[in-house]
Amino acid sequence: MSITLQLELIAGAVCLLLIIFYMLKKDLLSVKYSLLWLFFSAVLLIFAAFPYVVYVLRDILDIEVPANLIFMLLFCFVLMLLLSLSIAISQLANKTKRLAQSNALLEKRIRELEEKYFRP
Amino acid sequence: MKTLVLIPCYNEESNIKAVVERLRSVCPEVDYLVINDCSTDGSEQVLRDNDFQYLSLPINLGIGGGVQCGYRYARDRGYDITIQMDGDGQHDPAYLQQIIAPVASGELDMCIGSRFIEKEGFQTSFMRRMGIRIESALIFILCGKRILDVTSGFRACGKCMTAFFADHYASDYPEPEAILSATLNGFRVGEAPVRMQERQGGVSSIIGFKTVYFMIKVSLSLIIDRLSFNRKGGASR
Repeated sequence: MSITLQLELIAGAVCLLLIIFYMLKKDLLSVKYSLLWLFFSAVLLIFAAFPYVVYVLRDILDIEVPANLIFMLLFCFVLMLLLSLSIAISQLANKTKRLAQSNALLEKRIRELEEKYFRP
Repeated sequence: MKTLVLIPCYNEESNIKAVVERLRSVCPEVDYLVINDCSTDGSEQVLRDNDFQYLSLPINLGIGGGVQCGYRYARDRGYDITIQMDGDGQHDPAYLQQIIAPVASGELDMCIGSRFIEKEGFQTSFMRRMGIRIESALIFILCGKRILDVTSGFRACGKCMTAFFADHYASDYPEPEAILSATLNGFRVGEAPVRMQERQGGVSSIIGFKTVYFMIKVSLSLIIDRLSFNRKGGASR
């Protein structure tokens, strides 16, 4: 791996980290959902800074081409992220349901109060 | 006994008035509550103009979420018996006493109005009867309870059952799932014979090929419900 490529990869990983921190700071991303991303960009940075790690991992997992290891890890990460998003959506849907129900119940009570006090 | 009839309503402007008026004339002693699940037609207008008792959901939650809202209302206001009745006119309020009686006497926690016990009145299409039979068998396998009309939305619930449903009610295919979760949680579920009519107007939500699709999804969620119940070790009552 050429030194230029390595520098580019490091710059890319650092960029990703900075973007995530920026979004956290601006409250565009909640800490709860940022952990996976932070973990991912940290791993990316380690791989870029110390490509040796990738070679060791390749030997452990017995994969012929190191690039395939990267692709596999990327794919696993994306799957994990998608699953966590589905979980988050399900939880949100449930909360929205409870909220809508409470809203309807309150609206009924308000109507009853209005009828009692404002209608002769 | 304080009794409340829940009438879920989604785009039923042509039926809802007749349904509520019939209920009020046949059973003037019970309270009722129409749950308007964010209808896109004039249902809400009809409810308001006639000064009916109704809840108005701000977003469409589907039948499960809507009915659960009704159960929360019933629990909050301390009703002894909560009844569910469709807003399309296929359930006849004349049979209300039939399904209330076993619950009122404390014999059952939930009593389902079944059109298949005496096989009278509207019996629905062949495809749907087959589907219902399969779901019924599945529920029997999963919890050992034999209920014939598992998709019937005409049912009465006692106080404990109402409180349970206010907190746990399936949102996707609530009728069969409610039977399963009630039985698994130790509630007594049973059936009483009623006659049903064909819907008076509007369109049903499940037609044609959707029946098969619907059945597969219901079966799947029933099986998942059963499996997740085992994990929890029960006792979520």
